Order: sequence, then C-alpha cells, then structure tokens
Amino acid sequence: MNLSISRRQFLKTATFAAGALLAGCGPKGAPGARVTLTQWYHQYGETGTQDAVLRYAREYTKQHPGIAVRVIWIPGDYSTKLGTALLTRNGPDVFESTLSEPMVTAGEVAPLDDLFTPEIRADFNPKDLEINSVGGRIYGVKMFDDTAALYYRKSLLEKAGVDPPRTMDALIAAVKKLNTDDRKGLFVGNDGGVGSLINIAPWSAGSDFLVDGHIVFDNPRTAAAYEKVLELNATGALLLGAPTDWYDPSALTQGLAAMQWTGLWAYPAIRKALGDDVGVLPWPALDAQGTPATFLGGWSSMVNAQSPNVDEAKKYVKWLWIERADLQKDWCLSYGFHVPARPSVARTADALRATVPQTAAHNMTVYGHALPPSWNSAMNTALTDAATHILKEGRPAAGELANAARKCEIVLRRMQE
Amino acid sequence: MAVTAPLSKIKTAAPARPRPKPGANLAFWAFVAPSLIGLIVFTLVPIGWGFLLSLSHAQNTIHPGHYVGLRNYTDMLTDEAFLRSLVTMVLYSLFIVPLTWGMSLGLALLVDKAGWGKSFWRTVFFIPSAVSYVVASLIWRISLFNGLSFGFANHLLAPFGIHPIAWVGTVDPPWYWLVLVTVRLWLQVGFYMIIFIAGLQEIPKSLYEAAAVDGAAPGWQTLRYITLPQLRNTSFSVLMLNLIAAFQAFDEFYNILGGGGQSAGNASLARPPLVYLYSTALGDQDFGRGAAGAFILTALICAVTLIPGKLFGLGRADK
Amino acid sequence: MKTRSQNFWSNAPRYVVLTALAVLFVLPFYLIVRNALMTDAQITAPGWIWLPPSPHWENFRALFDDHDNQMRTGLINSAVIAVVTLVFQTLFSSMAGYALARIPARGSGFVFGLVLATLMIPGAVTFVPAFAVMAYLGGVNTQWGVIAPGLFSAFSIFLFRQFYLRFPAEIEEAGRLDGLGYFGVYWHLLLPNSTSIMTALGVLTFIGSWNSFLWPLVIGQDPSSWTVQVVLSTFLTAQTMHLAQLFAAVAVAVLPLIVVFLVMQRSIVEGATFSGGKE
Repeated sequence: MNLSISRRQFLKTATFAAGALLAGCGPKGAPGARVTLTQWYHQYGETGTQDAVLRYAREYTKQHPGIAVRVIWIPGDYSTKLGTALLTRNGPDVFESTLSEPMVTAGEVAPLDDLFTPEIRADFNPKDLEINSVGGRIYGVKMFDDTAALYYRKSLLEKAGVDPPRTMDALIAAVKKLNTDDRKGLFVGNDGGVGSLINIAPWSAGSDFLVDGHIVFDNPRTAAAYEKVLELNATGALLLGAPTDWYDPSALTQGLAAMQWTGLWAYPAIRKALGDDVGVLPWPALDAQGTPATFLGGWSSMVNAQSPNVDEAKKYVKWLWIERADLQKDWCLSYGFHVPARPSVARTADALRATVPQTAAHNMTVYGHALPPSWNSAMNTALTDAATHILKEGRPAAGELANAARKCEIVLRRMQE
Repeated sequence: MAVTAPLSKIKTAAPARPRPKPGANLAFWAFVAPSLIGLIVFTLVPIGWGFLLSLSHAQNTIHPGHYVGLRNYTDMLTDEAFLRSLVTMVLYSLFIVPLTWGMSLGLALLVDKAGWGKSFWRTVFFIPSAVSYVVASLIWRISLFNGLSFGFANHLLAPFGIHPIAWVGTVDPPWYWLVLVTVRLWLQVGFYMIIFIAGLQEIPKSLYEAAAVDGAAPGWQTLRYITLPQLRNTSFSVLMLNLIAAFQAFDEFYNILGGGGQSAGNASLARPPLVYLYSTALGDQDFGRGAAGAFILTALICAVTLIPGKLFGLGRADK
Repeated sequence: MKTRSQNFWSNAPRYVVLTALAVLFVLPFYLIVRNALMTDAQITAPGWIWLPPSPHWENFRALFDDHDNQMRTGLINSAVIAVVTLVFQTLFSSMAGYALARIPARGSGFVFGLVLATLMIPGAVTFVPAFAVMAYLGGVNTQWGVIAPGLFSAFSIFLFRQFYLRFPAEIEEAGRLDGLGYFGVYWHLLLPNSTSIMTALGVLTFIGSWNSFLWPLVIGQDPSSWTVQVVLSTFLTAQTMHLAQLFAAVAVAVLPLIVVFLVMQRSIVEGATFSGGKE
C-alpha cells in the first residue's frame, strides 16, 4: 500500500471522526420553545440572588411564550470564563460584563443603541453610558451601580478614642490604635490591598490611569499613593490570610478586623451582624491635595453579536433591565445592596434612605471613579505587578510605574491597530 | 500524578522485527490509526496552529491571520513579567528538585530496610500521591497554613508566643514559599520513593556482601560507594521527571496564591510561566503572545531535558 | 546471626523517624476529616478542637443540597471522564504499542518517530494552542472537549511498545500456526497476557484524569461541564465560604481515589516503577 493513499485515508477518517463527535453536541433547547436564550451571570454571594434571576427568566417566558431563557450561574473566575466562551460558537446569548474595547473590535458584542430612546438615555447616569460606549455606540445596559466603602465599627473607634479617618495619615494612626491581639485594625484583602486599592489609592491622590487615550498613571502622585499603602502594610495591623477576600464581609462581621474596605453589596449582611454599630467612609484622601475616592462599578448586560438570536436577546435585555423597574428594584435591594442604575428607579427605593446606604451612594456620586473601556486586563496585570512590587515588596516606585506604563502603552497601541 | 518521560530515557533503536506476514501494512495502520489521528488532531495540529497564532496579532480571537512577524516573541522576551516567571520557575525548581530527590531517596532507604511493617510505611508515604493538587492546595491554604489563629500551623506556634502568621500574604520573610514547597513535597515524594525502592531492590546483594568482605562499614560507606552509584540511573530519572513537572507547575500556584483576579497581589508574588500564559491567553485574550510564550517555554523545557542526557551521557544505559 | 527481636531493637531509631514522618504525612488527611465533620464555628474556634465532639454528617447533605455549588455535577463529570479516559487511552495505546513493536510495516519508523516527537512536547505547555483548536472544533464547554485530548498519550504508547517488545516471539509464532492474524494475535494472545501492565497504567491514567486541573479549567466555562477539581477550585474564589462544607467536598473528592489506591496499590506501585524508568 502506498503511503500517500494511507494519508489521504487518515484525513478522511479524521474528518469523519471529528464530524461524528461534533454531531453529538448540539445546543440544548427547552421543550416547546422556539428560541432558547442562554444568559450568564457571575456568582453573586448574597442569598436568594440565584433564585431571583431564575424567577425573572421564567416570568419572561410566561409573557413571551416560545422564548425560553436558560440561566447559567458561574462561580469562580467569571471574566476569564466569559471571555473564553465568547470565542466559541457556544457562547451565551445574553451576559453581564464590563465592556472592554477589544470585545467591540473583535465583534463579540452587539450594539444596543436602538434600545436607548432619548428619554431612556436621559434616565441613565452619563458615566454609566460612557463606560458602555466605544466609538459612539452603546454596547451595554448598566444593570446597577456598585460601590465600596470603608466600613468601621463605631463602638470600637470610640473605645480606642479615634475619629473616623479622613486622610491616609489619620487612617494609619487609627489602624494602629485599633489593632489588638485578637482583632486586626483593618482588612483590605489578603494581598494587603493590591487588588482592592490598586485604582482607589491613586484616585485618592488625584491621579488617574487612562484619560483620552493616554496612559497617565506614571507620576509621583501614584507613587506616593502606593507608598502610603506600603506604610499601611508596614503597621502590621492589616488582616491577612483570611479565608475570604475583601468583597466578602466576614472579616468585619466575625470581628476579625475593626474596619474593612468592602462593597455596599455586603451591607445587608453587615447590618444583620452588627446592627447600627457601623459607619461608612469613602477611601481617605492621600493628603491635603488629594480627595476621598471610591469606585463607580457594577455590571452591564450585553448581547453576543455572534448569537443566532440577537434580536430576541436584545428584546429580553430591554424587558429585564430597562422596562421592568420592579424587577430591577427587587434585584438591587431584596438580597444584597446595589444602587439601581437609573435615577428614576433609585428615587423610589426606600431602602436607599437609611443612613449607611445613603452615605455610601452619595459618596459614589461625588467621589466615584470608573475606568474607560479602553483599559483592559493586560494593562491591569501590568499595573498589578507594579503595585505588588511597590506596596508589598517595597521596591522603588518610580521605576516600577515607568515599566508598567511602558507596557500599557504597547498594549494600548496594539489595541488601536 | 501525570507522568512525562524524560527524553533521555527514550530508546530509538528499531526492534528486531519478525518477518512480515500478508496484510501487515493494513493491520499496522488499523492498529495505530486511533492514536495517530488523536495525536495529530490534539497535539500536532495545535502546534502548527499555535505557531501561526504566535506570528499573529490575535486579540480576542483564536484565528491566525493578522500576521505581525516575530513581534509576539520579542514582546514576550522583553516582558519583565514573563522573564520573572521564568526566574520564578528556575528558583522554584532549585528548591523542589533536590529536596524531592533527597527526601524520596531518604524515605526509600528508611522504608526498604524496615523489617517490620514495610508495606504499611510504604502505603502511608505513597498515599498522598492519590490526592490532587487542587485538594492539597485547599487543605494547605484554608486549614494548615491559614493566616488566622485557627490555622493548624499557627495553632502549633501559639504556645511559643508567636502571633498568627499570614503564611500566604507575608513577603518578609516570604513564607508563601514554605507553603508552596511543602505542598508539592507532600504530594510527590511518595511517588518517587516507590521508584527508588524499585531501584534499591535491583542492586545485587552480592555487591554489599563483597563490600562487607572488603571491610566497608555498613551505613554511610556502603551508601556512598555502592547504593548511590548503583542508583545513578534511577536518580537521573527521578530528577528529570521532577524537573519537567516543576517547570509545568500551575495548580498549586493558581489555587494557593490566587488566580483569576482574587488576591491579585499575592498571585504576582510568585507566578510560574504556565500561570502567566494562562492569564495572557485566557485572561487577557491575547492568543498571539500566549502562543509565543508557550513556544519559548517548550523550547526551554526541551533544552533542559535534552542537554543533561547529551552532556553526561546519563540515562543511556537505563534498563 | 541476630534474632528477630534484636533486629527490631537495633532498628528502633528507624521506627521513631518513620513514625514521626508518618504523622506528618497523615496530618492533612486528619485535617480533612476533622473539618468535614465540624461546624464552621468549631473550625474557627480560638482553641484547637482535636476531634469533632459529635460528627456533623449533615455537612455532606448540605453540600449536595446547596445549588450554589456544583459538587454533584462535578462528581458525575469526573467519573465519566476518568472512566472513558482510562478505557480508551489504554485500548488505543496498547493497540498502537503492539503495532509498533510487533508488526513490520512500511511507515512504522515514521509513526514511531512521530510518537517520539510528540513525547518531547510537554503536555501542559501546549494548552494555549490546544485550546484554540478545541474552540475551532466546537469542544469548548463540552465533556468530550475535556476528554478527547486525554485519550491519546504518546507516553503510554511508548510504554506499551516497550512492554510488547519483550513478548516472546515463539508464542506469537505458535498463534500464527493456529491461523491467527495480527488482530487475532493481539486479541487472543497479547491482551490476555498484558492485563497486569494494562491495569497498572490504567489506574495511573484514572488517577491522573480525576485529578487533572488545568485542561478542564480551560475547557469548562459553564458549571455543567466542570470536573470535581474545577468545582473545588471555585470554592476558593466564591464570594462566601462555608468551611465545613468545603472540607466535606474535599472529603468526597478524595475518598474514591483513596479507595482505588488502597485496593489497587500493587498495580499502582508497578505502574509507577514502570513509568518511572524501571521495567
């Protein structure tokens, strides 16, 4: 037998085998449904959230027979899993995400401009529209606004005789005083604040990261901000090595730390554990030239441009995150605590009038920052490395920031190709 | 316990074959077809595809096409984070490889000569090999080296007046290395111990008897002049298997230091190449640079596994 | 000549060292059992509680009732994946190993060269391009996508070839005289005579597959395709953590392997030594 013939046979067999394997895995549809939309959420930690989104999906099907929604709840590293799934043919039709420019360039997300009539557009925070826009088109519907706060135990501060800290030096002094043998002064995450403060600290110094297409963080203010967090770490009063990270309130509620930087989403759990013995602050200003800072975060709902059912997906997104104010309110305020993205909905929310949420929401409006869609994960890795070297290992800040900025510039240039 | 072969062990000499019978060609291809197709589709095609990707600007796409020459390679080779990950890999190997070699040989010697309960001891040391890196990482991070007072290590230190140590988050001294090294030792020492025990059993008893006649003291002298030289090839196998495995470390770094955005600052303290490639390719969705990095790493591993064998002619006579 | 008991006593220091080391090696298993059978409050209690005052078996029920975690799916997926991998990798590798060792054919050298070339490529390193191909084939986020690459192992083919090379030619010749073809020889003579090596390598394959992490992590996006290792890993990044439940999950993930390990220990030792270079 001639070798070349055998090779051809192999190719044939290989194609056949691959085809047979592929045939075995079509998309699974709900019985009786004309269209099944797959919708992805990351795992929310608050009890009841998963049942809630399943309920919304069922309600949509009831109102729109023929359209089933398959909700998928993803614990763990959501953004990597989502990014990976969007590369394939089996990606979700509807998903929550934070918009990044490469998603648009690669044609992964469908433009949603037609969902935004002028009245609806006017009812969204301009910042929330901005972070979902690339090249003048809107790709995401902001579902809700998230923010974080420096929570403190009022009683413990009183006992230690410290005022709620408004500057970094005051915070460092307070943390030292609050630190005891069995309770640390402050929890900002198990990595000493690299993950949670990487943006917040420079913002509190008046610096920023990517403005009008330019990398701007390579400056002495960013350096000073990270060096201050190094000083905070050096107090030895930060809680490290807790089972969960800064986004979970356990460290505060279990009394492992007197203060914690965590999300407003955790407020219900904190209130349940500590009652009124808790106050909130924005992250303190670096110094007199700085301003307090927090983030304006949250998730946006997007539609997969590769989906065979883009129109149905868009209708569903419109129904859930634009039309159904009642569901948005339920989602934001019945389980964890999020600020509804649209002022008209937020205004009707009584829960927002309590002191702590009101203060936190106010701080978000005044001091909240967000990163533009052109800031991406590769830049974040570069900055995280620099921040780790500066604020954990104490390496000279200037060189580290210059390095990171150079790398971010390259990434930015490549993105614009 | 994934096993990879040290290259130097591979014998390439063609076997003495029986006379061909009718239908030999057909039978041969039928028998190798499943494996051949599988290896082509899942190893060779990816290598070709990956090579094209490594020459492409492939942001948020797995399709090569936007060719940019060797730019991804120069990007990676000038990327401080990638170079640091290679340094991390080398440093880590310098710790883990000799330690594993020494401990597994030591255990093998202890267990092999234990007249009583030999199979019991063997089982006890070998059984951690059944546990996954993920599971072990969980135990290490959440229970054994938990940073709070309810971590086991901290509990043992408490009577000495030592405050709870945040093993994973502390950089000075870098306790996280203790966590990372001990977890791998626990998982793999038993496996290599088994290989050493097999090696020990192949040493002819007559060698020891002859040495005794020549007046060699049992213990250090026989170990130095008989046991170790006789275990030369086994040692070489163990070192190479171990080195290849260490170069591909991922699971425990990802799970103990935190992958996927969680405790990002700890993850960048010690990031081996596979973790960096995972974050570049799947996290940043930059498949061009991810593929280029994969090829650089592959070349390094091939070099490291080929050179010692060529240089010292070791492993050749391995039976 | 020393007596048995003299031998024992002269060996006493050895047993002391062995015992101390054994305690260290068993310690992590103790932690699993202890934590899995206590409440979160007992685990985090300031004083160390050595043994659960009363075992909290309900942690296991809670683990499977809690639909925020995917333990049940993970266990089923892992079992299917490990069994399919075990069966087909062993079958395919032994077939190829037999052909390379015993069937003289044109192209044999080429195929063996190809196997060796594949062997040189460190498997884990190629996950980036392998993912790209798998995404193209549509295997991402599917069970077959996790399984397929694991069915073909150059190393396993190589080991089977080494084994079959030493198979006595006389038996093969005798089989031929009885009218067996290549397939018959493989089926009736080689397979029955290679059960020990097949079991040995098969168990290692099973354990390796059950415990593998990077590839299932890369391929599995939505929880329906996750393996038990991926599920466990997400416990660490979950927003809230139930310690007792976490260790109950660990216990459930480890137990099947411990059983396999204890039952099959002889085969595993054989497989380890065989693949570690001693034949």
